[in-house]
Amino acid sequence: MSMKRIKTLLLVLLASGIAVVFLLPLVWMISTSFKNDFEALSGKMNFIPLKPTFDNYIKGFSGELMNVPILQWITNSLMVGIAGTAIVLLIASMAAFALARLKDLPLRKTLLSMFIASLMIPGVLTFLPMYMEFNALGLINTYAALILPYTAGAFGVFLLYQFFISFPKDIEEAARIDGANKWKLYTHIMLPSSVSIMVTLLIFTFMGIYNDFVWPLYATTSPEMRTITAGIAMMAQGSYTQSYGKLMAMTAAAAIPVVVIFILGQRSFVKAITQSAIK
Amino acid sequence: MVKSWHSKLTSSLFVLPYFICFAAFLLFPILYGVYISLHNFELLSPEHDFVGFKHYATIFTPGTYLNSLFFNGLWNTIQFVIYSVPLLIVVGLGLAMLIQHLPSKLRGMFRTFYFLPYALSASVMSVIWLMIFDTNSGFLNSLLMKLNIPAIPWLTDQPWAWVSLITTTLWWTIGFNMIIFINALNQVPEDFYEAASLDGAHAWDKFIHITLPSIKPVMLFVMITSTIASFNVFAQPFLLTRGGPGDSTKVLLINVLDQAFIRKEIGSASAMAILMALLIMIISIVQFRLTYGNKGEES
Repeated sequence: MSMKRIKTLLLVLLASGIAVVFLLPLVWMISTSFKNDFEALSGKMNFIPLKPTFDNYIKGFSGELMNVPILQWITNSLMVGIAGTAIVLLIASMAAFALARLKDLPLRKTLLSMFIASLMIPGVLTFLPMYMEFNALGLINTYAALILPYTAGAFGVFLLYQFFISFPKDIEEAARIDGANKWKLYTHIMLPSSVSIMVTLLIFTFMGIYNDFVWPLYATTSPEMRTITAGIAMMAQGSYTQSYGKLMAMTAAAAIPVVVIFILGQRSFVKAITQSAIK
Repeated sequence: MVKSWHSKLTSSLFVLPYFICFAAFLLFPILYGVYISLHNFELLSPEHDFVGFKHYATIFTPGTYLNSLFFNGLWNTIQFVIYSVPLLIVVGLGLAMLIQHLPSKLRGMFRTFYFLPYALSASVMSVIWLMIFDTNSGFLNSLLMKLNIPAIPWLTDQPWAWVSLITTTLWWTIGFNMIIFINALNQVPEDFYEAASLDGAHAWDKFIHITLPSIKPVMLFVMITSTIASFNVFAQPFLLTRGGPGDSTKVLLINVLDQAFIRKEIGSASAMAILMALLIMIISIVQFRLTYGNKGEES
């Protein structure tokens, strides 16, 4: 018994040590964001700032000194993330519903295998032509360019298809006998019963769009159109590497929305990952 | 007849919105990419001459600029894959097993700790580590100085540049593999272990003879996804080492995008991108075949 206790204690100690390694960079980010530039560059390892200051946040958000529209970037990211996620939820659920429940859908099997096969296509294959496509349409550096490419992803269709295909047939038939048409079936029966899987897809999609880095970096050209991920990357490549305090304040601000969503929705997020692994 | 025709139409309307997006932002770009790769396509020039497979031929002609751009990039990417994938699997599985052996009250908390960095974007992750790896004032070198160890040029000298890129990659993405392994370990029946214990099996025997065979399909899945993800590596070397020192961490995707957006040669960049995509797909198909082969054996 006591041997087992000691073993457990050692494992907890080991797990805690590893946790320190995982959390330390984040704590250091927060700590540095409250230091002035001099202290941030001093090479001291104090986690509690000697002279704590809110200056980095205040000046960063007001656009002062930094000369970067940080609030605009966060707004862009939130707008693009919300709009993209809303579109994905709507069109993916409609398509998945039809593929799973409407057996008279023409080319049903072909479409389904095409969508699933597309999950294997690497992003690098479509990246440059997509850029040229938006360029030809004059849409580079617009919200359309930041939103539309995410709507083609088949992950949502795949995830919801698996849910709808296992949905009990009796409920659907009962509704049909009551005279419900397909649209009613979709809005009144399928959608209300799929709330939990839709939340999963919502978190997964929103985080994917909010955190995407390469596409917004090239699809935006003017400072005020950038998303926060692209903006932070531009700052990191510019002269701001010498003001770690300010850079860290902006980085923390960029991370907060998605970390909050991640912690709140962790269960759903884990479900989406494990589902994609099992099938 | 009319009714069935009508019903087919309304059924199709449900798929139509997604299909339009799928066609416009996936199918069309794939075809357009092939078209571009067969032309002299420059970003700012309106004229595009048909050149056939010239770009592809040049990529495979030793001594040309495109050849070295593609194969140097590919070699750097392959190095990253070789260094990162085994660690992504071993550390992912290790963390999952550690969490499994913790008292159940603590599991959720530690899982969240290890998984948290996965929520960050590439640029947030990179900026944090830029500061930690900074040669002059970074956290790591300050720590080394306290221990009287000379400062290490983490991002500007090899092999440290690879060490730094692999470290950040592990920190950032290991939570994903860990979650998949935790899920797989949970599905190994408890009586397997109990039966083995009665036979006097040690922990290591149980791991080799029970755990590993039980999670084999998941292991292959993790191998495939980790390999693909590492093949697509971009943000870490782009932001942390900027391809350096020299060109030693200029991975293939950096070279493809530089060719397209810095030298503005979209035609040859597209040929490189298509070859890279083909390579990734071949690797994943081979690994998928392995997975299916194993499933066939089991049933």
